[in-house]
Amino acid sequence: MEELRELAKKLLQEKQVNAVVGYECDRRGVRPAFVDDPAGCDRLVFDHRCVQNLPAYLSPRRTNVAGLGRLAVVVKQCDARAVAGLIRESQLKRENLVLIGVRCGGVAANPNESRELGAETLALRCYGCSGTETAMADYVVGEPKTVPAAGGDRDARLAEIEKMSPEERLALWKEWLSRCTRCHACRQVCPMCFCERCVAEKTQPNWIESSPHIQGNFSWNVTRALHLAGRCVDCGECERACPAQIPLGLLNRKLAKIMSARYGFAVTDDPSTPAPIGSYRLDDGQEFIL
Amino acid sequence: MNLYQPNLVRIDEIIEETADTRTLKLSFQDPEIAEGFDFKAGQFGEYSVFGAGECTFCIASSPTRKGYIEASFKSVGKVTQAMRRLNVGDTMGFRGPYGNHFPIDEMKGKNVVFIAGGIGLAPVRCVIWNTLDLRDQFKDLTIIYGARSVSDLVYKRELQEWGNRSDVKLYQCVDPGGETPDWTGDVCFVPALVEKAAPAPQDSYAVVCGPPIVISLTLPLLEKMGFAPERIYTTLENRMKCGLGKCGRCNVGPVYVCKDGPVFTSAQLKTLPPEY
Amino acid sequence: MRRMLSRTDLDALVRDLLGAGTRVIAPVRRKVQGREFVEYAPVQNPEEIALDGSQPVRPLKQVVFPPTETLFNYKQDKGLVQIQEAPTTFSDTLVIGARPCDAAALEIVDRVMDWDYHDEFWFGHRQATTVVAVACTDSDESCFCTAVGLSPESTRGADWLLIPAGSSFEVRVVTPKGEALLESNKSRCPESDVPEAGKASSAVEEKVRANLAMNPAKLQEWLGAHFEHPLWQKIALRCHGCGACAFVCPTCHCFDIVDELEGVGRGARRRNWDACQPALFTLHGSGHNPRKDQSARFRQRVMHKFSIYPSRFGEILCTGCGRCIRVCAAGMDLIAILAEIGQNAEEAGSTL
Repeated sequence: MEELRELAKKLLQEKQVNAVVGYECDRRGVRPAFVDDPAGCDRLVFDHRCVQNLPAYLSPRRTNVAGLGRLAVVVKQCDARAVAGLIRESQLKRENLVLIGVRCGGVAANPNESRELGAETLALRCYGCSGTETAMADYVVGEPKTVPAAGGDRDARLAEIEKMSPEERLALWKEWLSRCTRCHACRQVCPMCFCERCVAEKTQPNWIESSPHIQGNFSWNVTRALHLAGRCVDCGECERACPAQIPLGLLNRKLAKIMSARYGFAVTDDPSTPAPIGSYRLDDGQEFIL
Repeated sequence: MNLYQPNLVRIDEIIEETADTRTLKLSFQDPEIAEGFDFKAGQFGEYSVFGAGECTFCIASSPTRKGYIEASFKSVGKVTQAMRRLNVGDTMGFRGPYGNHFPIDEMKGKNVVFIAGGIGLAPVRCVIWNTLDLRDQFKDLTIIYGARSVSDLVYKRELQEWGNRSDVKLYQCVDPGGETPDWTGDVCFVPALVEKAAPAPQDSYAVVCGPPIVISLTLPLLEKMGFAPERIYTTLENRMKCGLGKCGRCNVGPVYVCKDGPVFTSAQLKTLPPEY
Repeated sequence: MRRMLSRTDLDALVRDLLGAGTRVIAPVRRKVQGREFVEYAPVQNPEEIALDGSQPVRPLKQVVFPPTETLFNYKQDKGLVQIQEAPTTFSDTLVIGARPCDAAALEIVDRVMDWDYHDEFWFGHRQATTVVAVACTDSDESCFCTAVGLSPESTRGADWLLIPAGSSFEVRVVTPKGEALLESNKSRCPESDVPEAGKASSAVEEKVRANLAMNPAKLQEWLGAHFEHPLWQKIALRCHGCGACAFVCPTCHCFDIVDELEGVGRGARRRNWDACQPALFTLHGSGHNPRKDQSARFRQRVMHKFSIYPSRFGEILCTGCGRCIRVCAAGMDLIAILAEIGQNAEEAGSTL
């Protein structure tokens, strides 16, 4: 923790950056922090409650964050996948950013988690993760840590759903998606949803009905999932942010598996790996194209 | 019939104002509603194209002209593009009139200067015809109107008519570069023309409508010229949905533009946060 | 003399109403993907009703203000339009187990729905709905109803308030609608001379009080004078600009109106929940946006609740339910924000 604070202080004092985006404790747990004053660096923390994917704040639509100037961002290895994604999609220039990589050791599902990190509290995306720092980091802080053993098979639920008949699956998703009220929290917290104007907000033509009835909700949630195929960084923030308790992560996970099976693509923090959606290979499977 | 349900209106006439601006002349399909319909200058309505949605415009015709209403609009979004696709005889929806109005009665016996930029002439035009139709009840009337270019001037036939009348003074300008060889008006921005052509502030009211830049430059200018802030009137154009003081979209500080406005004085605007 | 209602009799009451075709809405337990929570939902039998559970994750407002509601349908043929009216009277609904903060919100929002134009949809639902609230027996660190003039056993907006007392409830009849409900259930609610079981909720109330102390008048005054303040920029940096806070808020009532086609020549106009946090809310067709960035939009949310609504309607547009705090993915904490503004107001003191 001291190492992180000292580094942040140094970056600010030496004016290498104008602000550091990290984590701080609040009344209930941990939340994102924006520190632009060396004296404020003592607020910075890093522990297993640091769940949030901070690169979400780097998306160009965050005009007020951009207004802070040059940023240093605290990133876990998984968060760095979002930075890599934004670079890959020309939303960000690596040289305009300082990355503070943390040796993470896994995080909880919830930033207000008061229990120790263990099989029960571990976030799904940490299952099988090494918890090491990202290779993108300019600076690395923290001692190496081990991620606790997972509490089971991450994809057990997905496997159950895959076994269902199409009718059963439709009924299940109808039940879940009927809860959606179109607050768009899933989109707003997503680091990869950086569009200036989302397809859901386009009116000419009106691709997606904005009413939260079942067809509008299917249209929105399925479109979003498809737009994130091969782009989703698996941070789980959409599901955590959903006030309607919809298990959105299942959709993203399913698509990630398809992308892996068909295009050999797995989300990575290496920005030079081409995204399947933005690259073409002669051996790309295309038998579905008539 | 619930309060969100519009009355049906028929498009009687379509007037091309500019390349992207039109005026629709509308009449109520239900004769009873047509008979009972009344409004005051400055009030607005929710106009709708079924299948596209609703859009907020002032009523651009004068309340002194009975039997129809007019709406002038620029094709920008989903609804206005849909409005552009309609033909004479087609049906639209109209809810209204909503909001407050210009103080026509208070202006009686006084000079009135009308200042407008671009399509901002629409709400002003309503007051202009209202005062012209009651011409003997007002002192000097002056119209100052400017647009980006000659082709962006709206209500061209009426501008000609006002220019020919001896009981109203008309001054027009276009932005530098927007003139044509036969343009006889000024080439300048609206505030410059106001400085040149506005009447003496004593005993005068000003009605100013236009894009935000025209409003933000003209209101202080008029005050500097000696117009009382309570006698400088403008309209706020915040985005609206319901028009009924419910949907929360048009709030500017504590004000619901749809209920407390759209007409405000310069003095009132000073008490509001600059969120318009 | 107090009237008592046992859980068994409450269940019988619910069964009667269900049998008579009344829609009954109550907190029910849900489990989705291993996550357990409670939400208001229609019940088919009284066993589903969870009256001792935690706060429903979403407010009661959806009962009187559905997330999407059809305003009318229309048919169109060659430029001619025929409108089919949508009903503004609704079938009877009984809410059992409303949280006092959710019930109070209904009465608070009544004001804007009736300050000039009378919103027939809102009041149609209101009229059809009888609200039986249950006093809270627990709270968490996000609750602050006491700071906005309510309490864990506030009766505002409720027709009955049930106060848990052992395996029964004390019935407090609040409104004429509540009287009518009692009239048809008198035998189930016998008078009892059991002394008041001590204020069951006083411990809860103390706990809520400890979360936030607030002087609403002073807060309103400070807000009125500080439209511009560095605080807004600072707070809003972490805000993602989604509508989650507004959509789970029992008092947020902003809406959008849209047309949707339902086949050739047919369609509906609907009103849908909307929120002041996304940029699109105030964006003009010209591209001009009066609320330029997230700080302006978040400020609007705080202003509307604690300054604008109080000055227009004499009510704070917040019942302290704490849902906005619980759902926020970015950790925006209204309690902390109000405490900070309150401190600023305190320090500004009489110099305001």
